Amino acid sequence: MHELPQNLVNGLLLGATYGLIAVGYTIVYGIVQLINFAHGEIFMTGAFGALSVYLGLGSGTSMWIAIPLMLIGAIVTSTVIAVLTERLAYRPLRNAPRLAPLITAIGVSITLQQLVWGFYPSAKSPRVFPSLPGGPFHIGGVLIQSADIFVVVAAVISTLFLAYFVRSTRTGRAMQATAQDPDTAKLMGINTDRVIVIAFALGAGFAGIAGVAWGLRYGEIKFDMGFLTGLYAFTAAVLGGIGNIYGAMLGGLVLGLVQNLTAIYIADIPGMSQFSSQSWSSVWAFVILILVLMVRPQGLLGERVADRA
Amino acid sequence: MTDTLQIRPEAAAAPKPAIPLPTAAARAVTAAGAVLTAAAAFLSWTYSSQFPGDLTVTGYPGGLQWITFTGGLLTLLYLLVGYGTPGLRGLAPGGAEGTTVILAVGAAATTWFTLIAISVELGGLANLTTGGWIAGIASLLAVVGALGLPRDGQHPRGHGLGVLLYPGKRPDLRPARPLHAAVEVVAVLLTLAAALGVFAYGVDTSYPELFAGFLILAGFAAWALNRSGDFGRLGEIMQRHRVLASVGAFVAAGLFPFTQTSSNAEANANLGVSILIFAATALGLNIVVGLAGLLDLGYVAFLGVGAYTAALVSGAAGTAFNVQIPFWAAALLGAAVSGIFGVLLGAPTLRVRGDYLAIVTLGFGEIFRIVVQNLDGTSGPNVTNGAIGISNVPDLNIFGFDFGSAHDFGPFSIGRFANYFELMLLFTAIIVLVFARSADSRIGRAWVAIREDETAATAMGINGFRFKLLAFALGATLAGLAGTVFVHVNYSIVPDTFQFAGPTPPNSAFLLAAVVIGGMGTVSGPLVGASLFFLLQAKLSFLHDYQLLLFGITLILFMRFRPEGIIPNRRRQLEFHESQTEGGQEGPTPELRTAEA
Amino acid sequence: MRNRSLLVLTAIAATGTLTLTACGSRASNSGSGGSGSGSTTVTIGVDAPLTGSLSALGIGIQNSVDLAVKTANKTNEVPGVTFKMEALDDKAAPQQGSLNATQLVGDSSVIGVVGPLNSGVALTMQKTFNNANLVEVSPANTNPALTQGPNWQTGTKARPFASYFRTATTDAIQGPFAAQFAYSTLGKKKVFLVDNKDAYGVGLVGTFKDEFTKLGGTVAGQDHVTSGASDFSSTVNAIKSSGADFVYFGGEYPDAAPLTKQLKAAGDNISVIGGDGNYDPTYVKLAGTAANGDYATSVGAPVESLPSAQTFVTNYKAGGYSQAYGAYGGYSYDSAWAIIEAVKAVVSANSGKLPSNPRQAVEKAMSNVNFSGVTGTVSFDQYGDATNKQLTVYGVKNGVWTTIKTGTFSG
Repeated sequence: MHELPQNLVNGLLLGATYGLIAVGYTIVYGIVQLINFAHGEIFMTGAFGALSVYLGLGSGTSMWIAIPLMLIGAIVTSTVIAVLTERLAYRPLRNAPRLAPLITAIGVSITLQQLVWGFYPSAKSPRVFPSLPGGPFHIGGVLIQSADIFVVVAAVISTLFLAYFVRSTRTGRAMQATAQDPDTAKLMGINTDRVIVIAFALGAGFAGIAGVAWGLRYGEIKFDMGFLTGLYAFTAAVLGGIGNIYGAMLGGLVLGLVQNLTAIYIADIPGMSQFSSQSWSSVWAFVILILVLMVRPQGLLGERVADRA
Repeated sequence: MTDTLQIRPEAAAAPKPAIPLPTAAARAVTAAGAVLTAAAAFLSWTYSSQFPGDLTVTGYPGGLQWITFTGGLLTLLYLLVGYGTPGLRGLAPGGAEGTTVILAVGAAATTWFTLIAISVELGGLANLTTGGWIAGIASLLAVVGALGLPRDGQHPRGHGLGVLLYPGKRPDLRPARPLHAAVEVVAVLLTLAAALGVFAYGVDTSYPELFAGFLILAGFAAWALNRSGDFGRLGEIMQRHRVLASVGAFVAAGLFPFTQTSSNAEANANLGVSILIFAATALGLNIVVGLAGLLDLGYVAFLGVGAYTAALVSGAAGTAFNVQIPFWAAALLGAAVSGIFGVLLGAPTLRVRGDYLAIVTLGFGEIFRIVVQNLDGTSGPNVTNGAIGISNVPDLNIFGFDFGSAHDFGPFSIGRFANYFELMLLFTAIIVLVFARSADSRIGRAWVAIREDETAATAMGINGFRFKLLAFALGATLAGLAGTVFVHVNYSIVPDTFQFAGPTPPNSAFLLAAVVIGGMGTVSGPLVGASLFFLLQAKLSFLHDYQLLLFGITLILFMRFRPEGIIPNRRRQLEFHESQTEGGQEGPTPELRTAEA
Repeated sequence: MRNRSLLVLTAIAATGTLTLTACGSRASNSGSGGSGSGSTTVTIGVDAPLTGSLSALGIGIQNSVDLAVKTANKTNEVPGVTFKMEALDDKAAPQQGSLNATQLVGDSSVIGVVGPLNSGVALTMQKTFNNANLVEVSPANTNPALTQGPNWQTGTKARPFASYFRTATTDAIQGPFAAQFAYSTLGKKKVFLVDNKDAYGVGLVGTFKDEFTKLGGTVAGQDHVTSGASDFSSTVNAIKSSGADFVYFGGEYPDAAPLTKQLKAAGDNISVIGGDGNYDPTYVKLAGTAANGDYATSVGAPVESLPSAQTFVTNYKAGGYSQAYGAYGGYSYDSAWAIIEAVKAVVSANSGKLPSNPRQAVEKAMSNVNFSGVTGTVSFDQYGDATNKQLTVYGVKNGVWTTIKTGTFSG
């Protein structure tokens, strides 16, 4: 009665967005063992970057021209910001105790959020984001918006690209080497500083794409959208196995499903009817995180760097 | 570590003063400037009494002029110390000239801050009278003179902070011979009284300009006293009379409500109790972050657990359980429930990896608020009354002492918030005691060992998981304890209070900031950091829109340049010292990361 | 050695004399009540979020009170009494509200307070004000428990604080009014309830539900969303499969706009009806064409239909305030004016002078206040609630809010 296929699709779509962001957490963590709390904010700035491009284009522009430009705008914005934060905030602390970069990451997160809140024009309330023309499409009783198709395409292409990049390019192999053992990698002639910057930039690029996807799907963006979304994305990365790129995507999908399905189907469990509403869904996501940590701490697909730390 | 007392090789001989003046002339100019600055505080600075504090009166200082006056006198005092004035010589064991420079700049900074504030608020320099100009020029004169004084202290090369290093660093002082016991006791008492006076003045500042001026001078004065070596000497004396100092500090804090006699007494007591709750909670967090090195980003949720527990058993109307238990039981219950939550959260997380704790606690902080909002009877069982919160929490009544009404003690009348201030002070004392006792025990040493190098600690037979869980749960318990008072002070509790980064303390981000800025791993660090932080956000309300931004930047800068905080942990400081001799600047041993890799 | 001691001596002498002269005392010309001269100055305090995300509303409150104070001084409303405004920023945080309350109580010239905006803040302030008999009039609190006690829903109403009043209309009126509108006027019988779990939204949905089922309507389903969330797809699905005629949303427009947008995008073209939290131009801006056909109730009559309201708008514009008076400007003006009226009554009862303990007298006088204000007739019932129960339904037509119906809630 609750239109299960539609709910599954919605959950997967939400999860794909989480997955795109989670990739950034997982790459950076895999290489420098830093939970980059600011990554959610990188995602948010990407969305605002895309919006700025759109506003700069003028109102008559076709969305088919605007979308690629907005994507570029988002990727450039989030990459530049991510690389800058790495350079200015994280790199000087590379040899400091672990607490220092973590606290710095919190500081960066709050700073970025407040910069957008305080200085982006009318960002104190949500800003309208353009939507894609066309749609909705009915496919086998499931309603699909055109923005949903964008999410699917973006997620698939991004994951495939990343897999190719990491496995088959020189830089990708250098990243793997650095993740396994930074000191030895350095001895082998790998510029680890460069690898770390690339890791940040890659993650930020995906976050930028996710930012556009988010804006297109929900039609609005806001300065604080990165905080909770980032938290979920990190949960997704842990779920899938931190350091594992496919894991991040899988974790995102699982988490999206959990959030969407618990909001409806928990009610069918006897005695639990009160715990099933959208407002409980984040609680269930959190419960899943705790359960995974208890039962399978290495994540669903296992960590690529499980023997570290 | 006395063998590291020799001057480091890179510390060259003191460089020449910035302004080439004969020493005698420099002293004369500084003295004239300082005296004139203090004197100008008695003149009228502006025409209009629109500016808060009314600076139009000639004859005696008011408002910000008192700050300038104090700044001028302090400059003069240390100038005289540097001049070798009999009886004052002991005041600057680390060198008086650098101290004088700092104080002169501080006095000029507050004076010019005032003048600029007047011009900006009243619209233009035309609002300054001759008196204002005299003060401004005199304070600059003092700076010019001070910059001509011979330079003392150490001047290590190779730092990027340039102008901040002009006064030089305090040389490493040999511990002084103990003074006569009575003199030392008097020194301790005077220090405590002065600290109380400064704090009470800061709390009582009634407009943002005065507080900002106060803060500028207080900051420079603290720097100066550290530079002069007075803080070091006082620290030694305090160390020798540790019991007296700590008991005295609490007595002094307890006297705070009695120093408040103006009509603002209750408001200031309210501010005081809020600061205490914030500071005590920050101290609890310091066990987790500072001692055990675990990052807890949802700490305020434990305060909330304690607060909600206490509210539910307080007998407030409309709560789920209509029970009322005595406050001591409620406090213990709140602490216990909070501790249980700590274990429930820490057990699965700490077993895996320290980093995960940060994100799990961040999640918990958010989830706590959402759960509390949902437990309202429609979207969950009715426990917390949801978003509407629990209101009309009754005032405490312990042994017939009603906390809700004012009581007279001789000539003093102690109001409601002052009552709670004293109660919270007791709780703070308990938390300080727990912190100090556990930090100095086997447990505390195990925490520090785990923080520094978990692999090595485990190899030495320390059960890392168990000790980390203990730290985490103990931290949660203490926050819960603070929460039980929190709810009674505020009459009510609503879920919105418990955010990660909200507009006012306590919230998790501000708590973390209080610990980081104050000094990780120390008792006084979070207390000082919390007071400073709370007063800053309460008094400088015009900054509120940028408060979180400044806060984020502060965190980044502190981690980059002074990770040990304002008041560094002695053990950590020694570690920094060791690493400095190895060539590394700040930040403890680089081998830490390789050990973890 | 000689010049050294000379320096010391002059320094000591100079500071000594200076310190001695400091022993005077500064004349206090800050206005506190009871000065012997002709006019007494009393302060009306304001507590509202003047910074942060709610600052637009808070500054509207502050400016409107300022306007009331200036108007009263200009017309010499209370002979012999000059009014002054002092605004404190509560940052929408209960802790700051508590600090502000003690500060206002401590200032003996404060005779009444307008504020706060948030119910959560009010909870920490009420008792402090009540202990000092200081009148507090909120222009915006809608939670019935603030005036009628925590058990108001079960019928045992008890006023917890004699000093707390409000000009705002409570959820207990707005929710049922919307229910009657939906059931009787629109003829819709099946509702899906959504709230955003904040105090306002929960209260509104609760009272709506009670009235709607009493009228004979059915609740097809209910969901709760987290304030600030973006993805409402599960809620939208639940609404679609429930077959409801319309959605009643309790909360504010930042949550309502994406909900209605996602609902319409999913092909379910039913109206979303909300309270005054939805009645905002931004709602239409965010939701776009999806907002058409949605309704919102708001308190009071439309501004253009009341002459007193138009005067307020004109005066506000003439006052040169840089920010709009916002959603609560009219209520804030009326709140401040109610305090002024009470002071007037107290002064005239005390032969033209303010009594020595004016706060208590003003608190007593508040219950007899009755005047024609910006939002209609302003007076308070035995709980301190506004007696004005006029509400208006607005609907979105072609992208703008238009007045649909004005009515008075009875029963």
